[in-house]
Amino acid sequence: MQNFKDKLYNYEQEPPEGIWNKLDILLDQQEERVEKIHILRHRSKYLFYGLTAAASLVIIFLSSLFFNNKKAFHENSTVAFLGNPDSAQKQRQEDSLNNKALTYIIESSRGKSSIQQTEESPFHQKSYITIAGPEGQPVKISSKVATLIVSADDDYPPKPVWDKKINKWKEIMLSSTISPTATDLLDIVQLSSMHVDN
Amino acid sequence: MNYPGNHTHSENDLIQGCINENRQMQEILYHKYSSKMYGVCLRYSGNSDDANDLLQEGFIKVFKNLGKFRGEGSFEGWIRRIFVNTSIEHFRKKVKLYNVTEVQENTVEDQDLTALDTLAEKDIIVLVNELSPGYKTVFNMHVIEGYSHKEIAEMLGITEGTSKSQLARAKGVLKKSLEKRLNTTKNDTFNS
Repeated sequence: MQNFKDKLYNYEQEPPEGIWNKLDILLDQQEERVEKIHILRHRSKYLFYGLTAAASLVIIFLSSLFFNNKKAFHENSTVAFLGNPDSAQKQRQEDSLNNKALTYIIESSRGKSSIQQTEESPFHQKSYITIAGPEGQPVKISSKVATLIVSADDDYPPKPVWDKKINKWKEIMLSSTISPTATDLLDIVQLSSMHVDN
Repeated sequence: MNYPGNHTHSENDLIQGCINENRQMQEILYHKYSSKMYGVCLRYSGNSDDANDLLQEGFIKVFKNLGKFRGEGSFEGWIRRIFVNTSIEHFRKKVKLYNVTEVQENTVEDQDLTALDTLAEKDIIVLVNELSPGYKTVFNMHVIEGYSHKEIAEMLGITEGTSKSQLARAKGVLKKSLEKRLNTTKNDTFNS
């Protein structure tokens, strides 16, 4: 006789009819679910790539905007510096004043040996004036020595001709019987009158 | 048994067909093993409704995991393990076994149950199904499937002591039921 353990172990019973049909439906549903998951994974993969590409494009776009702005800012600041209306106006005023000073020198020195610095002269408004050097180069000189500039032949801008003047002063000093010194008040007055004369 | 495509297929063909999700092959496999596996499900569940659910769930697992079958051991043994595990999972969801301190149970020797040998399979199943779910599961696992108490303890999440205690009680209840049944049978025989 078969042992009850074997009987139980090998016990078989036919399952109800409809079980396979239900299982069939379940397997179909599972396959659909798996397919959906595959599609979703596939889609999410494309979505991931799409988002990555979009993010990259946005980064590139923002970077280009940033660098263009930086460049534009640099250019604008240069332009702004160059085209700053205040500085341009200031420059124009400077030039105008310089021209005025130079014109004044030309006008004043015509037929005279030196020019006079008066309250009306433009020199007191300007610390330095720009003149043309011996080689035509711009030379900035103190307006205090503007009286040493003459425009002998009305050329513009006037050239410094102080060498002649200094030589002339040297001759006067050498030929003078008195040599004024800066220690004596009378000497200073005499030196001043000499300066006015020349 | 008549079902579509019921002609000879080697086990390997069946396995390969099921791996390839060939529905016809799946159906053949189902019909080949469904009776045996339904018997397993009935032993563990005790009622046909749960057994039906277990059968479906078990076959879905079989079809899903067929690719993992390495051919070590028998294919039927592999399928049976899936069904036993599915039944145990089902049992664990439904029944909570509380660990008890091991007490000296009245030991019921297997010899006391030899009278079961005289009964028909169906009658034995009826007796086993009269056991409470905890007793029935441990009895099935230890006596029928041959799991050790250590394995049962790990699988059910209980202590070995609890497993032994459940088995002893199961055997006691089964012995009483068997005696009762045999007495009834004797009386019926005398009366007739």
